[in-house]
Amino acid sequence: MTEIIVVTSGKGGVGKTTTSASLATGLAKRGHKVAVIDFDVGLRNLDLIMGCERRVVYDFVNVIHNEATLKQALIRDKRLDNLYVLAASQTRDKDALTQEGVGRVLDELAADGFDFVICDSPAGIEKGAHLAMYFADRAVVVVNPEVSSVRDSDRILGLLASKTRHAERGDGPMKQHLLLTRYNPVRVEAGEMMSVKDVEEILGIPVLGVIPESEQVLAASNSGVPVIHDASSIAGQAYGDAVARLDGEEIELRFIDAPRKGFFKRMFGT
Amino acid sequence: MAAHGDRWRVSVAAGARSENADAVELKFGQVGIAQVRVRRNDAAALHAELERRVRAAPHLFERAAVVMDLSHLAKQPEDGEVDALLEAVRAAGMLPVGLAYGTSETDVLARRLGLPLIAKFRAQYERHAEPPRVESAASSNASSEQGPAPARHAEITTLKADAPVFAQHHTQPVRTGQQVYARGRDLIVVAPVANGAEVLADGNIHVYGALRGRVFAGALGDERARIYCSEFRAELVSIAGHYRVFEEIPAQYDGRSVQISLEGGKLKIANL
Repeated sequence: MTEIIVVTSGKGGVGKTTTSASLATGLAKRGHKVAVIDFDVGLRNLDLIMGCERRVVYDFVNVIHNEATLKQALIRDKRLDNLYVLAASQTRDKDALTQEGVGRVLDELAADGFDFVICDSPAGIEKGAHLAMYFADRAVVVVNPEVSSVRDSDRILGLLASKTRHAERGDGPMKQHLLLTRYNPVRVEAGEMMSVKDVEEILGIPVLGVIPESEQVLAASNSGVPVIHDASSIAGQAYGDAVARLDGEEIELRFIDAPRKGFFKRMFGT
Repeated sequence: MAAHGDRWRVSVAAGARSENADAVELKFGQVGIAQVRVRRNDAAALHAELERRVRAAPHLFERAAVVMDLSHLAKQPEDGEVDALLEAVRAAGMLPVGLAYGTSETDVLARRLGLPLIAKFRAQYERHAEPPRVESAASSNASSEQGPAPARHAEITTLKADAPVFAQHHTQPVRTGQQVYARGRDLIVVAPVANGAEVLADGNIHVYGALRGRVFAGALGDERARIYCSEFRAELVSIAGHYRVFEEIPAQYDGRSVQISLEGGKLKIANL
């Protein structure tokens, strides 16, 4: 049974691609056969984050237009041999995607025995985002703890509940998960940032993970290694937890409280 | 002229049993159907207005079955004029499927056109003397506006059904950008209504959950409509077009359960 998971948000720049890369990598590390697809045609980034941009020969659009086979276009990850990337085209636009074509590619992946297909959605609510979510069985909604991101995510949740195959079939509510990124507990405590509880209350869906704001995320993106590989970073560990929860484990949330000042720090200041 | 939805009951008289009874099945059902209430005998204006509506909401109106209500015209149009009106509706992209129940003249007209005459079924509304007319207040071109003939009213009285009109239930969260409209009835939402979402009803609105969005009760102008919610954080509330925006929610109502009603043209909020 192939499970199709869309990583979406509505708003841009909240960490969808970073999240897609880490979730796909994490699931692959747990032994699943995983494909991650970049739906952001025209602004492809996933291959950069996954560190395979120089190995892209054929892309998603080529496969949809029968200019290449899926096998030719799937790029095997250099670290995990059960992880594959399907890059977006840089030279086309989102109209190059068709619902029928996307459906065919997903069917083919299912026939190939993939356990998970991660669909990295573009920002916005236009065609690319629509097609990324249309076939999904589950959704991971990436949110930054600030009002405009929360508002856009609420809009996306509305679309997930109405504009997907899952909804059209009347299969009941789709499994939706909230993933908070760029979370800074110190600023939350200072009242400058929305808390996990605030966001959860407004959106009303369960939290899959909270990724703390961390410099390692940027460093990892720039070097083309998904941050989940970096076990020394708290963001990498938080993604690891999120993947485990996605895979059915129950783990308590970490990194959501501001670090307490120790005895010495309290005595002598920071 | 106004294109707006109404509830109609289409009745079919079932024939007596025979050996051919298995050849056909007569089923009764209720459908929502748009009503084109023609207020002026002006085919060109009718066409222009309906075409604008179809273009604005093609999903809703394109090839939509509509019932023609000619009872609001000052006088029954001539045969040729009726043909022109029907053609105007068709050309705009809607499909007239019948005439609304009016006078005996309408009946004769319907027979001549080979169209069914559909009896009105608006128990809730016509129980009270006159349905509120927001359209007439809003549109300035309602010059030939006429109240319904008394005879028509009498006929409708006998057609009333005693079945209550049940509220529309909504159990899913109403998300940003979504709209939920309970036409001709109350709306009950048992989920949160997000910022930027809209809930509307021709009757009352109940929200059991956080109400953060915009809420319009009495959408057709019924001033008796009320709004109830268990956690008040609305951006805007409106009853029968009287609205108030909340840039800042007064502390005594913020997050509390409240009731909102219209009293003397003013919105009144009260803690429950």
